[in-house]
Amino acid sequence: MSNYDIKSEEKFMGQNAWFSLFMGVTLLIISVYPMLNQTSAPLLFLGTAAFLGSFFMFVIRGGFTWRMKYTLTYKDEYLNTIDTIAYKHVVLGLLFSMGGVYLLSDTLALEVSHSMMATFYLAVMNLIYGVSILWQSKD
Amino acid sequence: MQNKIAKYRKEAGLSQQDLADLIAVSRKTISTVETARFTPSVIIALKIAKHFNTSVESLFVLDKND
Repeated sequence: MSNYDIKSEEKFMGQNAWFSLFMGVTLLIISVYPMLNQTSAPLLFLGTAAFLGSFFMFVIRGGFTWRMKYTLTYKDEYLNTIDTIAYKHVVLGLLFSMGGVYLLSDTLALEVSHSMMATFYLAVMNLIYGVSILWQSKD
Repeated sequence: MQNKIAKYRKEAGLSQQDLADLIAVSRKTISTVETARFTPSVIIALKIAKHFNTSVESLFVLDKND
């Protein structure tokens, strides 16, 4: 393990958090927009635009990641800890959102497809992971 | 658990990044250990103590609640 690996990992985790946030917002738009507008016609265009936007934000924020040399050989102690805690937050958030959907299922069932709900759950997981990592990373 | 790492580090004229590089951890590890938000492993505690040529007991102090 070298200092280069540690700094790369630290940077990688920061990028990962931002990417999760952008992807979460993208998926949230994809899952919620059709329900609000009662249509899924612009979904492909909207989803593609949001994903490309997220991707380029990720690349800009990450400082052009394809130049990075990152290998999964070492995990810094603190980064490993916040990563584990973030996954716990994700599981808790998923449970709460599933619980909420369960309670509202009768009113949602006719308007929302299974794929929309799956996308919504993915959005929640991405958002919680990103927020958790950023929150725990603050000095 | 409180610690005196920041004091030792400043006396040595090191930044958090310098100390992190010297003991091969991330800067966030040093930052969060110094503010007592994160309790490091014995390995990191020993590395820090060894770097400052002191004992772990002089760096880390247990609270009443610990």
